[in-house]
Amino acid sequence: MNATEPDPNARGWWTTILTDIHFWVPVAVLIGGLLLLRFIR
Amino acid sequence: MPSVSPSQLVPAIPDASRAKKLQLLGILSGFAAGAWLGAAEAPTKLVSIGISPMVISLIMVIGVFLARWSLPALILGTSSVRADVRRAPHLVIWALLAGCLWAVANTLTIFAIRDIGLSIAFPLWNSNSLLGILWGFLFFNELRQAGWRRRAGVLSGALVMCVGATLLAIASSAGHGPAVHSLHGVWAALGAGILWGTMYIPYRKAYLTGMNPLSFVTFFSFGELGMMSVLSVGSLGLAALWQELLSARGVIFWLMLGGFVWVIGDIFQQYAAKYVGISRGIPLSNSNQLWGLLWGILVFGELHGRSSSIYLEVIGGSLLMMLGVAAIAFSSASGQEQTRWKDAAIRESDRYGVSADFVEARMDGRQLLGELKPSRSTLDWLLVVFATSVFVIFAAMARVPKISLHWAPAAFLTAVLFLLLAVCGLALWRTTRFN
Repeated sequence: MNATEPDPNARGWWTTILTDIHFWVPVAVLIGGLLLLRFIR
Repeated sequence: MPSVSPSQLVPAIPDASRAKKLQLLGILSGFAAGAWLGAAEAPTKLVSIGISPMVISLIMVIGVFLARWSLPALILGTSSVRADVRRAPHLVIWALLAGCLWAVANTLTIFAIRDIGLSIAFPLWNSNSLLGILWGFLFFNELRQAGWRRRAGVLSGALVMCVGATLLAIASSAGHGPAVHSLHGVWAALGAGILWGTMYIPYRKAYLTGMNPLSFVTFFSFGELGMMSVLSVGSLGLAALWQELLSARGVIFWLMLGGFVWVIGDIFQQYAAKYVGISRGIPLSNSNQLWGLLWGILVFGELHGRSSSIYLEVIGGSLLMMLGVAAIAFSSASGQEQTRWKDAAIRESDRYGVSADFVEARMDGRQLLGELKPSRSTLDWLLVVFATSVFVIFAAMARVPKISLHWAPAAFLTAVLFLLLAVCGLALWRTTRFN
């Protein structure tokens, strides 16, 4: 494997991202921000 | 991909002087970011001439979009962006998410400025640094094994910033328009702070996985333009939005310019987040609060005619926040803490299957051995010409907004901005070649 290329055995992007807690924190905050925007408008 | 221990990836401190140089570079980038981000908010004062906050935000984001593609194309070339995406394709999703967060936060700040003013709204949304410290500690090993002095420096700095922000919030509720608007303005500013503080999770994620800040911002721009378009069309409708854009054509240039200036600040902020982490990089770039205050008071005459106690509260609150920022800036990461950062980088490269030596090289601000040097193509020059042309067209339509402006302080602050751009840009080029 070329050292600069992604590992072909790595799990699929989406599975990896969706099981990453780091992803859900910004998603939750984004939803909260949209609700706040709706409230203050 | 098998796990690699930290010692296999890289020695604890491969080159102490290089590490120190990168730390200083991160601190300098943070200050330059503060100046440029502070200046970028000034055009949003145009909200006072009756343009919808949504439209203002959308126009700024269009300027941001143009800048986020043309500047990286000019500095490194889009071939570098493509190479980064091939290595860490998942980061496109993170960049899009960060862009969405930015767009909502930016819109909230415009509501905040409309309701409570620039000089008061600024420090409130700058509470994002507190959140940045929390996320940096929880998710990315920042401040781990930092020693009690450094931890105390960062935490006490954050506490002092809280006190300063509270003082400014109290000042905002004293005689500034209807109470309900003041409250909405405070909520909007705090909400923007939370969104921006959380936006740094994707930032740090990207830099721990070796992505170049210039590549990250290009995809980030799709998230922000997409989200902003949805928000604008959803709230106004296409026909009304078009009418608003037509009626605002005289100020489109100024707002797009605000977006452009913001991107320059953001690029410096990205380098700060990369080299000193988010727990320190965000508070440093939040010195934009002081710059915002300078622009607000000196150029736009904010707080004019208000009582001296309000002045004291705003200035005292701002100084407290700056004191907090200084405490954090002087608590730079030790070698042991940087080793913990590398642990977090290994975790990320393992999880997402990114080559460990690539991550190591990029964390060290250099290219991988044998990696092709980025070069500019015809496409890059076309992007630069296109972005410039759009700005020139809107500049031709622009008129000077009919609001009270003091040009001498504006010229002085602009000169300082360019000085910081030259100094920090040169330092980044010499040390990292923008890697």
